[in-house]
Amino acid sequence: MSVTYVIKEGFSGFRRTRLASITSVTALVIAVLLVGLFARFGYNAFHVVQSLKQSIEVEVFLLDVDDDRKNRIASELQSYEQVTEITYISKEEAGTIFMEEFGTEGESLADLNFLPASFRLYLSPDATADDIRLMVVEIERFQGVDDVVFNQQLLEILEERLEMFVIVGVGIGLFILFTAVVLVFNTIRLTIYAKRNIIRTMKLVGATNGFVRRPFLFEGLLQGILAAVIAIGLHWLLFQLIIPYFIPQFGILVWPLDRWYYLTGAMAALALIMGLWGSRWATRKFISQTTIS
Amino acid sequence: MTENPIITFENISVRFDDRTIFQNINFTLDNGEFVYLIGATGSGKSSFLKLIYRDLTPVEGTVHVAGINVTALNDRKVPKLRRSLGIVFQDFQLLPDRNVYDNVAFALEVTGKSRSVIKQRTLEVLSMVGLSHRRYNLPDDLSGGEQQRVVIARALANEPRLMLADEPTGNLDPEAAHSIMDLFSQINNRGMAVLMVTHNYDMVKRYPHRTVKIEDQNIIEVRR
Repeated sequence: MSVTYVIKEGFSGFRRTRLASITSVTALVIAVLLVGLFARFGYNAFHVVQSLKQSIEVEVFLLDVDDDRKNRIASELQSYEQVTEITYISKEEAGTIFMEEFGTEGESLADLNFLPASFRLYLSPDATADDIRLMVVEIERFQGVDDVVFNQQLLEILEERLEMFVIVGVGIGLFILFTAVVLVFNTIRLTIYAKRNIIRTMKLVGATNGFVRRPFLFEGLLQGILAAVIAIGLHWLLFQLIIPYFIPQFGILVWPLDRWYYLTGAMAALALIMGLWGSRWATRKFISQTTIS
Repeated sequence: MTENPIITFENISVRFDDRTIFQNINFTLDNGEFVYLIGATGSGKSSFLKLIYRDLTPVEGTVHVAGINVTALNDRKVPKLRRSLGIVFQDFQLLPDRNVYDNVAFALEVTGKSRSVIKQRTLEVLSMVGLSHRRYNLPDDLSGGEQQRVVIARALANEPRLMLADEPTGNLDPEAAHSIMDLFSQINNRGMAVLMVTHNYDMVKRYPHRTVKIEDQNIIEVRR
């Protein structure tokens, strides 16, 4: 069988059963769009939780120590893999911050001299509450360290919520994918069922199963390509124009992994695979079930 | 086995669940012979044809078609067997969205023949059945008799040695039915064997040929 025949028949099949083809493409678009929306919203929500987690700081308050001691503490703090960055805040800077935050007017910095110098540690988003708790216990034992403070409660809440979010997210994602596959496969099955007389006639004149199947597969691929283009177009329209216009506080939600092509590539691949695989599954089923009389 | 009979049934038994359709039947159809297959509704006439084009396999016995043991045939070779047969049904089974030419050409496309060969042979068989002038029409534009002629043209496309016809005049008015029977007679006169299932006993009398009847799970010779 020539490739030209497959392509010609694939396009003809699409044209001949226009309504059935449109139904299949619509099912594919809905399925791919749902997966795309979930991925985009899910990634952004995950991103927000990660950013919050990253904003948690550990403050290490120092006793009155000399520069040598201070430098040794700094280098030990930097050696922790959970710590991404450290900042030193001198007594004077602590006073300035205090005045900015609490608006203490009339008091001189000298009056605020009781505030200790400190190190502010910025944490890796991968650091768990347990890791940090352990690290804090160790730091508290450092010579020259007075106290270590961090928002343990917030970290634990975020960690717990993140875990829940991932579990629920994966569950919802799998459910959407499953629903999408069922929707698409059943639609394609019905459209191919509508063509069972064609399959019957093809078998009657001695067409091999491959001969019968290939134009249907190509048709499935065409439906997948069309669905991918429409779903990606709608996704772009929604996130670049519609959501920023109607819910400006959302702004433009970031693309997963900060690159547009990962998600659009995955959506295109999903549409093509579902179109092709759905057609393959349905034709296999009907070719084996169809008798010629 | 000899090459002379184009169809040989040897001790064929067919059962569906606990119902016996055929019990140990034997039958031969010679090359170039025309045979009618008659019998009551539900007696198994269509099942008899299915055994030949391998839409059904017997529980016992063997079917040979043109020297091929159809019962032992690998599934992959079934399409090739069907290409060597011309099959005509009462309900036409044309592709409604393709014109007459494309319907006939389709039987050749599945064999992988070149475009020029397909064109030449399609026009040849359409001329044989008197439908060259209707080649661009869709099946729905044709009368029942014309549609059956398209089916016959499609069945002839691959130059089969055997034509199987299941009630080919069942949906046609008497005039169209006679013209189809005339066409089958011409085809048979060219040396092609024909096995025709029919209920139309007027036709059987008017176009006399050997006639076999399926009765009580057996096959009996009605007229030699």
